[in-house]
Amino acid sequence: MHLTGYFLQRLLRGLVTFWFAVTVTFFLVRLLPGDPVSAVASPSMTEEIRQRQLEVYGLDRPLLAQYFAYLGQLVQGNLGISFLSSQPVSKILMERLPWTLLLTGTALVVTVLLGIPLGVLAATRARGWVDQIVQVSGVIGQSLFVPSIGIFLLYTLGLLAGWFPIGGAVKSDLTGFARIASIAHHLVLPCLTLVMAQLAGYVLTLRATLIEALGEEYCDLARAKGTPESKVIWKHALRNALLPTTTLIGLQIGFLVGGAVLTETIYAYPGVGRAIFEAVGQLDFPVLQGAFVLLAATVVIANLVTDMAYGLLDPRVRAG
Amino acid sequence: MIRKITNALTRRAVLMGGVVMAIGMAGIGAVSAQDAATRIVIGTTADVVNYNPLVGNSRSDTWVTNLMYPRLMQMTPAGSKDPYVALDWGYSEDGLSAWMEIRDDMTWSDGTPFTADDIVFTITAVTTEKIGVTAGLIPSFVSATAVSPTRVEFVLSRPDSTFLTNFGFWMPIVPKHAFPEIGSVGTFANDSNWVSAGPFLLTEVERGQRYLLKAVENYPLVETGRANIDEVEFRVFPDVNAQALALRAGDLDIIANALPAPIARTLQGQPNITVAQAPSLGWAHMLYNLQRAPLDNVLVRRALAHAVDYDAIRGIAMQGLAESTNSSVISPVLSYWADPEAKEYAFDPELSKQLLTEAGYTDADGDGFFDNLSLSLLYEQSAADIANWAQIVKDSSAQAGIRIELVGLERNTYLARAREQKDFDIYAGTWAVMEEPAAYLGLAFRTGAFINYASVSDPQLEAYINEAQAATSPEAARVPVQAAAKLIQDQVYDNVLYYQTFQFAYNSERWENFVIQPSDLLSLVNPLSLASVTSKN
Amino acid sequence: MTPAAPVAASAGTTPAAGGLLAPADLTPGRRTWRAFSRNPLGMISLAIILVMAVVAIAAPLLAKFPSGYGRDILMPPSAAHPFGTDDLGRDVLAQVIWGTRISMIIAFAASFLAILIGVALGVLAAYAKRLDGIVSTLVDVSLALPVLPLMILVAALIGPSVTTLVVVIALFSWPEVTRIVRSQALSVTRLPYVDAARTIGGSHFWIMTRHILPAVAPIIVVSVVLTASRAVLSEAGLSFLGLGDPESWSWGKILYNAQRSGALTIAWWCTLFPSIAILLLVVSATLVSIAYNDARNPKTREN
Repeated sequence: MHLTGYFLQRLLRGLVTFWFAVTVTFFLVRLLPGDPVSAVASPSMTEEIRQRQLEVYGLDRPLLAQYFAYLGQLVQGNLGISFLSSQPVSKILMERLPWTLLLTGTALVVTVLLGIPLGVLAATRARGWVDQIVQVSGVIGQSLFVPSIGIFLLYTLGLLAGWFPIGGAVKSDLTGFARIASIAHHLVLPCLTLVMAQLAGYVLTLRATLIEALGEEYCDLARAKGTPESKVIWKHALRNALLPTTTLIGLQIGFLVGGAVLTETIYAYPGVGRAIFEAVGQLDFPVLQGAFVLLAATVVIANLVTDMAYGLLDPRVRAG
Repeated sequence: MIRKITNALTRRAVLMGGVVMAIGMAGIGAVSAQDAATRIVIGTTADVVNYNPLVGNSRSDTWVTNLMYPRLMQMTPAGSKDPYVALDWGYSEDGLSAWMEIRDDMTWSDGTPFTADDIVFTITAVTTEKIGVTAGLIPSFVSATAVSPTRVEFVLSRPDSTFLTNFGFWMPIVPKHAFPEIGSVGTFANDSNWVSAGPFLLTEVERGQRYLLKAVENYPLVETGRANIDEVEFRVFPDVNAQALALRAGDLDIIANALPAPIARTLQGQPNITVAQAPSLGWAHMLYNLQRAPLDNVLVRRALAHAVDYDAIRGIAMQGLAESTNSSVISPVLSYWADPEAKEYAFDPELSKQLLTEAGYTDADGDGFFDNLSLSLLYEQSAADIANWAQIVKDSSAQAGIRIELVGLERNTYLARAREQKDFDIYAGTWAVMEEPAAYLGLAFRTGAFINYASVSDPQLEAYINEAQAATSPEAARVPVQAAAKLIQDQVYDNVLYYQTFQFAYNSERWENFVIQPSDLLSLVNPLSLASVTSKN
Repeated sequence: MTPAAPVAASAGTTPAAGGLLAPADLTPGRRTWRAFSRNPLGMISLAIILVMAVVAIAAPLLAKFPSGYGRDILMPPSAAHPFGTDDLGRDVLAQVIWGTRISMIIAFAASFLAILIGVALGVLAAYAKRLDGIVSTLVDVSLALPVLPLMILVAALIGPSVTTLVVVIALFSWPEVTRIVRSQALSVTRLPYVDAARTIGGSHFWIMTRHILPAVAPIIVVSVVLTASRAVLSEAGLSFLGLGDPESWSWGKILYNAQRSGALTIAWWCTLFPSIAILLLVVSATLVSIAYNDARNPKTREN
């Protein structure tokens, strides 16, 4: 029962977050300088055509009416029509969303899979040279500027060594296994870049919490019972130390999903972040808005999932 | 221009007419009968935004839609127009009507014949709905009729010697049967089920990644009757540096966009890559907003014009890949029209100071800058060349005591400020193709004209433009055209800095027989070029 | 682009007592400093930050503002130009030096602004139970927003300038600070002496500034450094996308210029030196805050 309450509360918070994101971006886009009218209607048009253009995009109505109309559309899954291309926004973005999810999802999984053993390694050898190396290299990875490292990797591993393709998400005209292999091949460098940027976060968090957990009474108790140290670490301490890491995953998703803009730019990866950047330059408000809606939805859903995992992991939540 | 075209033009002459320069050896049509389809992969920096050729205005839009929606005439390196789909054209004695004959062997890719009806549909839609810049180019148009499948006749409101060639080159023809009714053409997305009357047909789109076009069977404008290659793929590389790496690695065959000088220089040193040059038919310039004080004062504009280090702009920012137009709005490329008397504004900071003192400015606080004189310079942040010379303008103006503040913006914000809001002091930009002086002078300098960003309004200038447009012979048009250019230079209504030489790169180990055309809109990826290119193996 | 701060997360989990367990012989500050000074990584990093700060302050003495243009375009490093020249013949060393100034100004101004908002809301939320729900929700919700795209949006629409960058980065950095400060402050508000202060009728403002603020001060120090280091990366990212101030030099702008002119892979000196500058500052800032955290935490300090 407590768990259900917890989940319901999280679901509600997810919905609030989503609404907040939609509202903030809706008004940001429209209240900042940069006139949407000039994007769809030029003064050289006749008044009649201009008026019709404004009607088509709903720009002739007051702002609040536009806002509620937008929310209404959104409930029906309609993201509107792009100013510049006259195409439905959902069509423009839905082709790109899977690539963003693939890239960021893979990066997240790889980061966690690498982060846990490295964090354990650093924590169990705290203050030793292994710990120092793990920490410093993690921090360096996280401090690299994405375009710099991106172009460096493309030049060395892509052009000189010829191991990886230069840019893009997949080689054209492949089907079946060959296509999957090609997608994976194209994914390596951008994914590596994102993993480098995030890894330190997980390693350092895990290290800190694990060091604390290992000093707790229940670990000493386990040791006193003759449990081997490795089992103490992996079974008893890690279980508790993983909780903050789970929280961190939830926190990172927002950064990750939208933050891949630079990675997508350098590696010519067709993600949503890049679409946002292009739409900003083009003052294509419906596309911008739609992209934020999709990103917000992704983040909210991902956070719900981590919240659920947290709820199941943490006895305190289960106990209420 | 009035021209007499004899009917003796053979197909070959039509073909060669637009050829500026065939690159590489004219190989013997080695269209191999291999199993694998031959495909050329082209790099571009941006996605196609709008597939409607009458609306789309980005370079990627033009490159892709050009391959499907033919223009009626071709452009020569000197900017004049040669037959292409249109075979012959002319005006009536009184100049109030015009006619055009087109080929009879063209079809759309779905089998529908390409006829005069499509032309009438297109021009009527564009002028009724006032779509894009083309509508502004043909102000004299009244109506069009298809008198036969291959002949169109036009009614004009006044004699206009630029009407046919402007319309012939600038308006891609769209299929009447596949487009909506007039009234909704401008908002038509045209984003699926394309039909093409060009050499290729768009078949597959993966946004953010690639655009695949397949050769259509009937393209009578090349000798072989269809394109030599089977497929054209555009791949999107947002970053030019990564794009150049992809060309070097062999992932790309051509880069469609003009290359920044450092990249061109490096690519030139690669054994498998050739860098080709194409002249620009446009120019780079600065406009001074005449609606704003103190730029409404010609002395201030002259002072600004003399405070620009033109040599440094061409030598450093453009790395020598630019030539002076002698500060004239008619570039020497248009050799027939250019005024040999024109002379560039001298870079002379002292003269600028003198002019500003004359205009009443002083430097009371002695900081080396005139008081109460600070101007903003609006430019497109992502255009490397312009961003670089904007910096030079700022620095050389400082030498004349003029403070300039740089405002580099994203492309569309920049355009909105320049075109709709007229929110700038000095505007820096380029016109891509300015090939018909009588026509573009009207577009750029008539009161309220479409690209008259500076808000020039000068009855004398308009009189010259009217005279030039109504002239019935090139000789009669040249005098007022040159007079207009001289007036523009004297009054500094426009400050033209240079015309550019574009550089394009392609993989010459694999491909030959490109047909390069002027400007970066046509360059190596114009329809004739991609229909003619052949694989080397 | 910029992941959540690792140390900030771990800072939240370290015992709150850091500043409070004062031994008899040494003040907590001195004790922390003694532990800190024994950490070579922390000391080196601190030295790097100080050197960079000196470079930033003394920029006008070290190099001429990189303006104008020269005939030596894209020349590799030489005696005359130790870091080479860019595509307008300007000295890259001068750009990096002046870039240090702008990058650090933006980093610390944005960080200061974010801390101001973050600490105020964090302390308020911890102290005033009624506001806690609202602030916490606001923080959670803001943390879920796609930050970089929002920064891009605001920066592009307002128009590029140093002020825009500072405001934009601060606007999207405060929630992280609030989250950490709140959790730290919460543990303090439950302590007896705060209750005592309340019962003797101290004003809310007095309690917050005299009792709660000092207790969260160490956390604030860490947050300043970390938020600043992330601001460096955000600034570089925005500048790299063409949203930087066209009138001033930052490291991101040097890289943007190289990207735009196609020199990124060709003139390695235009790419390498600003990249290293970014790396050095961000790494140093992070290591300093790790070392400070360790020094402050009695558990790790003892070793």
